[in-house]
Amino acid sequence: MSSSIQGAEKIALPMVTALPELAQTCLCYIPVFMGFHNRLFWGLLMTAALAAAQDVDRGAPIFMQQCAFCHGRDAAGGEDGPDLTRSKLVAADVHGDKIGVVIREGRPEKGMPRFTLSDSEITGLVAFIHDAKAKAEALVGGRRGVDVADLQTGNQEAGQKYFNGAGKCSTCHSPTGDLAGVAKRFEGLKLEQRMLYPNDAKSKVTVTLRSGQSVTGELAYQDEFTIGLRDSARRYRSWPTSMVKFSIDAPAEVHVELLSKYSDDDIHNLMAYLQTLR
Amino acid sequence: MTRFMQFLFVAGAAVSQGVDPAMLLKPPADSWPAYHGDYSGRRHSALTQITPQNVGQLGLAWAYQTGQVQQIKCSPLLVDGVLYITVTDNVYAVDARSGHQLWHYAYPPNKGFHIGSRGVSMYKDWLYFMTPDSHLICLNASDGKVRWNVVVADSLKGYWTTMSPLIVRNHVIVGVSGDFDNLTGFLKSIDPETGATQWRWDSTPPAGTPDATTGGMTWMTGTYDPALNLVYWGTGNPTPVLNGKARPGDDLYTCSIVALNPDTGKLAWSFQASPHDTHDWDAVETPVLVDRDFAGKPRKMLMQTSRNGYFFVLDRTNGESLLTIPFGPVNWSTGLDKKGQPIPNPAKEPAPDGRLIAPNEGGLTNYRSPSFDPKTGLFIVDSHPSYGIYFAKPADGSFGWAGADYDVWAKAELDAIDYQTGKIRWKHELGPNGAGAGVLTTESGLIFTGDALGNVLALRTSDGKTLWHAGAGSPMQSSPITYELDGRQYVVTSAGGVLFSWALPQ
Repeated sequence: MSSSIQGAEKIALPMVTALPELAQTCLCYIPVFMGFHNRLFWGLLMTAALAAAQDVDRGAPIFMQQCAFCHGRDAAGGEDGPDLTRSKLVAADVHGDKIGVVIREGRPEKGMPRFTLSDSEITGLVAFIHDAKAKAEALVGGRRGVDVADLQTGNQEAGQKYFNGAGKCSTCHSPTGDLAGVAKRFEGLKLEQRMLYPNDAKSKVTVTLRSGQSVTGELAYQDEFTIGLRDSARRYRSWPTSMVKFSIDAPAEVHVELLSKYSDDDIHNLMAYLQTLR
Repeated sequence: MTRFMQFLFVAGAAVSQGVDPAMLLKPPADSWPAYHGDYSGRRHSALTQITPQNVGQLGLAWAYQTGQVQQIKCSPLLVDGVLYITVTDNVYAVDARSGHQLWHYAYPPNKGFHIGSRGVSMYKDWLYFMTPDSHLICLNASDGKVRWNVVVADSLKGYWTTMSPLIVRNHVIVGVSGDFDNLTGFLKSIDPETGATQWRWDSTPPAGTPDATTGGMTWMTGTYDPALNLVYWGTGNPTPVLNGKARPGDDLYTCSIVALNPDTGKLAWSFQASPHDTHDWDAVETPVLVDRDFAGKPRKMLMQTSRNGYFFVLDRTNGESLLTIPFGPVNWSTGLDKKGQPIPNPAKEPAPDGRLIAPNEGGLTNYRSPSFDPKTGLFIVDSHPSYGIYFAKPADGSFGWAGADYDVWAKAELDAIDYQTGKIRWKHELGPNGAGAGVLTTESGLIFTGDALGNVLALRTSDGKTLWHAGAGSPMQSSPITYELDGRQYVVTSAGGVLFSWALPQ
């Protein structure tokens, strides 16, 4: 609906441009607002519907060209990118306010590049994605995605035993400490992915300069040639690796060692246990 | 000869020379006339001007900006002093000495999948370019004008094309892509003069055949042995991709290395890298051809580091396995069959509650080229140790992707594999997630590649030590090439939409 209003803007109907916020959430608000002029209302509604279809049509080839390889031709997930029809961000998007930002800025940390597209192209893409979501929700079966219900095959006691035993999770984590309420913060696939490897875990680095002075902070950049950190004042500092000594404390890396040791049952059991920490 | 006279000589010789198919048998030093540089796929250059001793002085000769948001994923061609590069829908001719543009061809807007373009191929004075909507375009190399345009596959059914055709004599051999629909993979040989189809080889039965697989796409350029007159090609995964129940059995010829006669398209032999694949592991990685001793006996070999995590060494006369061994974390197989093919573990097929799999869907390596260094006997590959979780349930159906998978963890490293044992002689860490850069080796003992953070690297082949680097702004998504012009050796790499040419100071 939001995109239809933007479509209407292009044909210069000032009354509509005056109420995008209302219209986004409830198109039926329009008749209340414009009840005094029935013919204009119906004309507008039809124009809006037509414009919506045009937006979807305009967005479709752009989606095929720029997005479909990762997100799938029907936006339901592809080689690399998530299923957009089940995305929380898409569900929360109004008028492209969230999708547009992701398209323009990318998500470099997740491998999604920035896209330089015109506003009209982005409006088209947003319309296409919302349309794909509506179509996916209308389908019975055939969906691709993981529900919280899919991840309930484990045994809670076995998971707890693994947590405190073979998995050595309790060396770093505590159900009453850092993991208290973890199942309230994350659920389903997100919880499982974080359990297996917490992608956004921070590492600490201590850099020792030639002068002997040392600086400790959050690891902010590392390649073979440069080491960068954010110090306690959140200031970014970097040095050529050839000119300093440094040591990194990356507690999340023990998760990598476990990847080759887990059985699939261990994972499901651990999930069952973590989901009790509410 | 003075530099100027050398220039005149090279330029004079260059006029309308193009690529005579015989030249592909032994490419001159001032050329890179085909995707892999030559027919062997070794991506190893005999050039020795840039050495481990002087590579530290390497600097930028020029940079060329395509001005495209799309990343360069092609391997450039270099013929008669002109570089030909592509991004999807676009071909550029660039002066290899200065980096200035000679012409630009833009294919009209179309609804095909826009994933990437791996470059053009050349026969005589004509270029061959494949489009997102599965056309093959023949262009004049001199001005980029279209000679003809033929349809290779029906893009409305879900095919698309990205690859650089393989030219063998008067055959332009083209392959196709298409993973999101249940489609038959195939190769076609096309007449370079007329665009007429000479033969077609199907990798899988027609869509709709009961209990049969579809898929087996042919989206990477193969290699060729002129003495055996066989082309070697890797085929992609079966479809439906993650649901194996709909296509019981091995699913031939998906995830396979096949040997075909280039004149007839007739299959000579096949080897299946992943029987009954359920993890999207195309076996399209370069089939590298090496003639050396294996276990004390001279052999004509084919080597592949496959996306599924295995390093394969085959006798390329008959497809017999000499070595099958993982080159990183692999957890989906129960062992090897009699032919040396990995046996898939049914317990590691995608499941409703998920299966943890190594490698992840991107694979332990992917399409960018590895390199074989004859002096050290090392097979150098951009590798991607990784884990992913794979899901599939009845509700996901049996069409196209038919499931879902997610990355868990990955890192990038360069691995130097001893081809006789499969042992990793050295590893060079390249950063988090994946690097994706291809690999070039040179006779002077150098490796050119890139890391995950956008550095172009020159390493010593013997031990992987870094000798030179330059930040290029984003990771290389192509494979480096090298050539010599006017007595100067250039190494060409890409980052984002920019092409970089590196050389020693003059």
